[in-house]
Parts: sequence; C-alpha cells; structure tokens
Amino acid sequence: MANNILVVAETRGGDVRKVALEVVTAARALADGLGGEVHAIVFGASGIGSVAPKLGAAGADAVLVVEHEGLATYNAESVAATVAAQITSGGYRAALFGASALGQDLAPRIGAKLRVGVAADVVAVSADGGEIVVRHPMNTNKIIATLVLAATPALVSVRPGAVSVGSVAKAGAVRSVSPAMDPAAGRVKVTGVSMGGGAKLDLAEAPVIVSGGRGLKAAENFSLVEALAAAFGNAAVGATRAVTDDGWRPHSDQIGQTGRQVSPDLYVAVGISGAIQHIAGMRNSKTIVAINKDKDAPIFKVADYGIVGDAFEIVPVLTAAVKAARAQQ
Amino acid sequence: MSGQNIAFLIVLIAAVGFFSYNIQRLVGYLRLGKPENRLDSPGRRTWNLITIGFAQTKILREFAAGLSHASVFWGFLVLTAGTAEILLHGVWPGFSYDAILPRPLWQLFMLSQELFAVVVLVAVSWLIWRRVMAPPKRLQGKEIHNAEAITILCVIGSLMLTLYTTGAFEYASQPTLRETQFGWFRPISTGLGVLFTGVNISALHSAHDISWWMHALLVLGFLNFLPYSKHLHVVSSLINVWFSNTSGPGQPGAMRPMDLEADVEQFGATDVDHLSWKNLLDGYSCTECGRCTAACPANITGKPLSPRKIVVDTRRRLMEKAPLLAGELDVPGSASLFLDAEGGKAALSNVLLDNYLTEDELWACTSCRACVTECPVSIDQLDIINELRRGLVLNEGRFPEEVQPTFESLETNASPWAFSPADRAQWSEGLNIPTCAEVFAAGKRPDILFWVGCMGSFDDRAKKITVAFARILQAAKIDFAILGQEETCHGDPARRLGNEYLYQTLAKGTIATLDRYEVQTIVTFCPHCFHQMGNEFPQLGGNYEVIHHSTYIERLLEAKLVPLNTEHGKTLTMTYHDSCYLGRYNDVYSAPREVLKRALPVLTLVEPARTESRGLCCGAGGGRMFVDEKIGKRINVERTEELVATGADVIAVACPFCMTMMTDGVAKLEKDVAVMDISEVVAQQLLVRS
Repeated sequence: MANNILVVAETRGGDVRKVALEVVTAARALADGLGGEVHAIVFGASGIGSVAPKLGAAGADAVLVVEHEGLATYNAESVAATVAAQITSGGYRAALFGASALGQDLAPRIGAKLRVGVAADVVAVSADGGEIVVRHPMNTNKIIATLVLAATPALVSVRPGAVSVGSVAKAGAVRSVSPAMDPAAGRVKVTGVSMGGGAKLDLAEAPVIVSGGRGLKAAENFSLVEALAAAFGNAAVGATRAVTDDGWRPHSDQIGQTGRQVSPDLYVAVGISGAIQHIAGMRNSKTIVAINKDKDAPIFKVADYGIVGDAFEIVPVLTAAVKAARAQQ
Repeated sequence: MSGQNIAFLIVLIAAVGFFSYNIQRLVGYLRLGKPENRLDSPGRRTWNLITIGFAQTKILREFAAGLSHASVFWGFLVLTAGTAEILLHGVWPGFSYDAILPRPLWQLFMLSQELFAVVVLVAVSWLIWRRVMAPPKRLQGKEIHNAEAITILCVIGSLMLTLYTTGAFEYASQPTLRETQFGWFRPISTGLGVLFTGVNISALHSAHDISWWMHALLVLGFLNFLPYSKHLHVVSSLINVWFSNTSGPGQPGAMRPMDLEADVEQFGATDVDHLSWKNLLDGYSCTECGRCTAACPANITGKPLSPRKIVVDTRRRLMEKAPLLAGELDVPGSASLFLDAEGGKAALSNVLLDNYLTEDELWACTSCRACVTECPVSIDQLDIINELRRGLVLNEGRFPEEVQPTFESLETNASPWAFSPADRAQWSEGLNIPTCAEVFAAGKRPDILFWVGCMGSFDDRAKKITVAFARILQAAKIDFAILGQEETCHGDPARRLGNEYLYQTLAKGTIATLDRYEVQTIVTFCPHCFHQMGNEFPQLGGNYEVIHHSTYIERLLEAKLVPLNTEHGKTLTMTYHDSCYLGRYNDVYSAPREVLKRALPVLTLVEPARTESRGLCCGAGGGRMFVDEKIGKRINVERTEELVATGADVIAVACPFCMTMMTDGVAKLEKDVAVMDISEVVAQQLLVRS
C-alpha cells in the first residue's frame, strides 16, 4: 500500500485525454520501481467509468470512478477535495497529474490541502533506490534539474508529450468512489465551456505535423498538405505566418514565434523557406523533413531530411508512399 | 474721439479680452500634462522655427498645397502689420504709419499690403476649389471638418476683399487724399476707387465705414474663433515648432527616457494627464491636414491606425477632461466646441486609451516615423503612441498574446527568439574571426567591434549578410572582433513593444559587457541595433561611436581599402529600399546608394515611387516583426509591389528585418527578383585572395 501511485486521469467529452494515458504509463514504471500499484481516478458524469479499460491497457491496476452529474465539467473544489481525501485514506506514496491546464490548476490545490510541494511540469519520473526522482527542464530546456522528492505524498505533474503511451496492460478493476465534497456546494459554478482554437490543441498533441508555407502559392493548394496529413492518420496541419496573415489558413494553425511552438516526432515542412519566425516554433521537432524547390532555402539547415524539388510533384508521391506503408502494417 | 471710435474701442477691448481669457484657459489645460524641460538647445530650436516655421520647409514637401499655404502664411505675416494699423486707426484716427515712416518706406509698405493680398486671394481661391472639387484622399471622409475649413478660407478671402474696398471707398469719398495717399503703391485700391468716383459722396462715406467695420469685425471674429477650432494652429504651431524635438534637439527618434525607480503609480500613459504638456500642445497645433495619415503604412494598408486621429483624440479628450478638472463645468460656453457629446461628469471616468483609442490602433504602428517626418508643424504622433503602448504593457499587462514568446525569450535567452546564446557565433566557424575575449586574453584591443545582432546570429538568411560583411572587413584588413556568445539583445524590440522594464534590464546588461571590453567604436548592419546603441544607449550611460555598415563600407570603398573586381558582367538594374531606422531616424540615405554605385560601376539604380524620407516601411518595425498582421493588406506586399514595379532585377536592402519582409513579398508576388543586402552586393565583387 505504501508505494501505490494515484493518477488523476483527465477526461474531455467523456473520453480520456492522451495526456492521461501518458501519465498512467509514467506511473506504471514508477510503481514497478517502487513495488506498488497504479490507481487511476477519473471524474465525470454517469458513464465515465467506461474509460476504465483504456486506463487498464495503459497500466492501471485499478480505476477509481467518481460519477456525479455535477462533475460533467471540471469542478476544481470537489475534485481537489476528493483526490486529497483519497490520497490520505489510501496512503498513496505519490499522485501524478498531467501538466495540462487542468493538472496545473489541480495539483497546487491538493498540495496546499496536504501541505506538500508540487514538482511541476517534469519530463521524467523514476524510482531510484526507493526514492522518487524527477527531471525538470528550466530556462527553455537549456538545463535540466534532477530533483529527489523527499515529501510524502509526492505530487508530480508530467509534461504532455514527454512520455510515450505504454502497453503494459493491467486489470483496470473498477471501483466506485463518492465525491468527498458535493460538487453543487462549491463556490464556482460552471455555466458553460467555450472551446477556443481547437486546432491549436491538435497541433500541440499531434505526433506528426505537416506544415505548408508560401511555396504552396494559394489557399486551395493546402489540400495537398491535408491529404498528406490524412495519410499519416495521426497528423495535424500547420502553417507559416505568411500564410495565416494572408488568410489562407486560420491564425490558430500558425507555427512559429507568434504562433504555436511545437515539438512533434515528425515535422514535414512543405514550401517553407525557413525564416527565423517559423524556425523558432518548430526546430525542437524530433525529426524534420523539408520539401522546397530552392536548395539554398534556410529550412534545409535545420532539416534532418531535405527534398529539393517541386512540392506539387513530391507531396502526392509522398502521400501515396505513406498510404502504402501504412496499408502494409 | 468720435462716437464710432468709442464704439470700436469697446468692441476691441471685449474681443481682445475674450481672446486672452481663452488663451489663458488653454494654457491652463496644458498644466494637466506632466512637466518636461523643452528649453534646452535654444539655438537649434530657433533654427527649426526659422526653417520649419517661417520658411515652411516641411509643408512645402507637398508642393502645390504647400505653396498655397505658404502664400497665405507669408501674406498674413506681412498683412498683420497693416491690420495693426487699421485697428489702431479705429481707436485713434490720427494714427498712421505715414506719419512715422519715411515716405519711400511707407510707399513700399503699402505696396506690400496690396500685392500680398492678391497672393493670399489667389491661394485661398485655389484652396477652396481643391477642398470642394478635388479633395485629396486625406481630406475626405466623415472625420474631416470641411465646413469649418471652408468658412475659415472664406473669412480670409473676405478680409482681403474688404481691405481693397475700404481703400477704394476712401479714394472715391475723399478727393483730398488722392494726391498723397494713393498712387502706384496702392494699385488695386486706387484702380477700384476710380470706378466709384462720381457716386454720391455721403453714400461713399457710408460704404467706406461699412467696409472698414466689416474688415475690423472679421479680424476680431477670426481671432476669437481660433480657440474653438482646429485653426488654433495659427496661434500654436510656431510655438509648437520651437518646443518640438522631432527635428532635434535630442537624439532623433529616441524614445523618451523613463525612470523605473520613480515613485509613481502610472508608467506610460492611459489618459491625457499621463502625457507631457508638449503632447497636449501637439493637440492644439494639429489642423487635421492628414499628411501623417496619408504617409502611414498601417493606414495605407487598411489598418485602423491613423496618426491624425491619435493627435485629434488627444485634443478631444483634453477638451473633455480639462474643463471638468478645472471646475469650469457650470460656466456656460466654457466647454469647448471640441466636446462632441453633452460632456458631463460621467466623462471624467472616460480614458483616452479605451474610450477614444483602441489597442488595435496602437499595435498597428510600425514606428516608421513617416507621420513625424511629414507633419508640417512638428507634431510627434509617435511619442504619444509609444507612451500609450507603455501604459498598456507596464500598467495594464495588455498586449497581443503572440508577443509573449518574444518577451519570454528576451528574458531567458537575451534574444527575441529562443535560441541558445551558445549558438550565437556559429556563423563564424572557420572564418578565423576573434572574439573580444580572445583579443583581450592576448592583451590587445580591437579597433572596432562588429556587433552582429540577433537576426545576424540566428536567422539563416541573415547569417549570409553577417558573413558577407565579415569578409569585407577582412578584405579591407580591418582589426575587428565580435562578442560571440557574450553578445545579448539590447532590448530594442521590448522597448518598442512598450516593455520598458525588460528593455532596461537588457540594455544595461549590454552596456556592462561593452564597457568591460572598453568598446569605443561599434559597426553593425542592423539599423535597429545602430539606432538603439547610438541614439538611446546614452540615456542609460552607454556612449559609443556606432556606425552603420552602409556608412562604414562607403568609407572603406572611398578610401579604396577593399580590393574589388573591376570586371563587370551583366549590367544590373537595382532598386534600394530605405530602412526607416536608417533613413528617417538617422538621415542615412546616400551611403547605401553610394555603396552600390561604387561596387557596381555600371549599375542602373532606379528609385521606387516612395523613396528616401518618403520611403514606405517594410512592416517589421516597432516590434511588428513579433505581432501577427491580421488586419488589412500586408505592408511588405504593398512595398514589394512598389519596388518590383521599378523593373529592377535586384531589391537592395540594408536591414535584416527589411530583408525578411521583402523576401516574403517577392515570394508572395512570385517574382524572379533577388533581395540582397548591400554588403552582399559588395562581397560578390571582392577579389578572392589566393
């Protein structure tokens, strides 16, 4: 019991978010190192328990389901009270959160209730001789601090995208839990949720991004980029500032200094020259492929793979090749 | 003293009294502004008054309208002497210049009056015709007070006409005066007077009196209309020119120093009382000609910013707020005509920033200084915009969300882009360029510091400029060094975006580095670095000789220190795009052109429609590089179209930001036109040493 890990699994629209599965994966490795179990806790309206198999598949031994009509949207006070009560009554060694907007709101609340600190926005969490060790990037990733968490429980929020979702399946046994505080009794009433820039979220979470620039010459030619993204199956479409300023794509699609700063596993730059404005937003991508007809284009300086040629010829060939490769899998 | 004289004396005292009351009131309103010393450099200020004020040099930038205005202005200067005589004559009939001036001088004086009145009449007629029949774009739209302008022009015309008729009726009604008072020196009055000879004498006497009274009452009416209209500029603009810093004194275009340690609750401005008294005087001096707005790149491309509106709104807000604070609310007629609505105490809760001006207007500014350059009366629209941006950022934390990464990178990486300082000198690998640290370690001092700048360090296109300029320096055997990893952004983008705190942190850090290496002379190819370090660092105690590479290369070429290939292949046609911070901020126009001509002796250099001090901004200045351009046409496209229309094969630039914007513009237009920095043009011609 003393080495069990509790994961607050974030849901949206009745389904778990990718970050929740990533955190469960991180917790699985930590629990295995410490010799404990992973328990995930989910909050939502009735029926939210249906996500339990997914959490189990990612490595949760048990899933605590808190169903209440007042929890259909995020209710900070009730969720914080319930999680804090669970940590205390369950004697958990640590609680893990995603360092998403929700996790970054929730973790400090619980830290305050339990009088412990929070290791926020870490990129790795592991067990080392019975101690919990986290790695936390600082100064825009230029240095990484390694911290040993002395307090119990240890509260940790894990950066989205830092951990790949694992496949160590566990039982995911469902246990129903009542909220420790009536959601309706809170001081905050959620009257509605308005989602802004849905495309931006996609960009931040997508493992593959296909981006188009001025070289596509016209808004309608973005269909090429969209087709390539669709072929990958898990890709989002991005754009340069020149393109969004010209209204070819919405501003929420912009990648660069004044848009989204992304770091997907694969970044495909189509017809993008590579001005500093754009490079500043994507150069931390793990693998960069550039397609440009100008062999001197600066984008090739940051690209891992460069294709010099006409995007209108190359992209359809690439799209077909990606489709064929995925069909074989 | 006749009854008429006494009546006029009463009218005169009332008119002058009411005018001085209004002037005192308006001067009182200026005290609402923050104090500021504008008494330095009296010589330079007086020179500005003579050239910009009396010689009308800035208004003559637009020739036809300028000449018309100058004619009216010079006419008024001459005619005011005559007006003084006429008014005195009304009180004291015995008074006449004839009695005190030598006869030839008096005759010359009378001739000047008659002739200048013709000049004014012609100019006024043309101005009325233009307003009604062919108004330029800047004089169209609902914001324009056309009725007021035409009324004023008609009053001026009537003043000239009554001047003649008064003389003519005098000639006709008093035959005894014809010998001494009329003749060749009063050609029009005399000529008109001859037409009336033979008409009933008493009718002529009455006609003379009526004409005289009309003239006098028009003068006094005009005088008292001024404080209630945009024509207040008649009173304030010469004063404004003297106090202005837009053409010096002070460093050209330098932003106002700011004491961040000061014990104040307000940084920057959100309302008129946070501005200086000079900003408020600018409001009085604006006659809404719109030359600033016509030259504004943001306005030209359909963005909400109008520099004229910035100034007019400052005045409107002052006229709303000042009477309320001065407790004049209950005095009828005291709230000025500028106050559109009912006014009232509710107006006190208004602020300039949100009730008059919007964030979109303020963030649209590229700080290109075209408005300031064009203003005929030296109003500083940009100073007001800069103060309001500071108010937005420092006091209210309001700025476009996409600017946040820039501020964060400046804080953590000392560069607007989040690149590692360790990578700053990557471009120099294999080029054998020493850093200051290395030169110091060898116990030496370099002659000059090559300041690379963040674009030159991190942008792959700009790095080619960096290398090109370094090769020129090496070819000329200049003893230079770079700071390498120790170079940091001086904070100019933060300052232009209103974040003075971040700016000062970075600037002070840069100055400390420069002083540690005992730097005296700095050469840079970035006009923003050039302006910031040369013109604004002195505010923080950093004093260096800073030279832009255009000037520096020109000197090297002139001294024949750069071995150049004299063979020329194809004859190129080039056009040069003026950088705002090089041109309008620092008056460097000829050096970059000279560099091109000296490097390519058979070059054909063509100029775009808007060039030199009238050049159109590329769109990246004033921190706009880091703000999305969501409204209107893109400024870089507008400018590139103009440059491409010259038919040039190459667009030459002298700024890495202009380089980015023009390169994108050419790509957008899908034109086969190269964009090159002037140093790249020279580097191509370098004789390669074996």
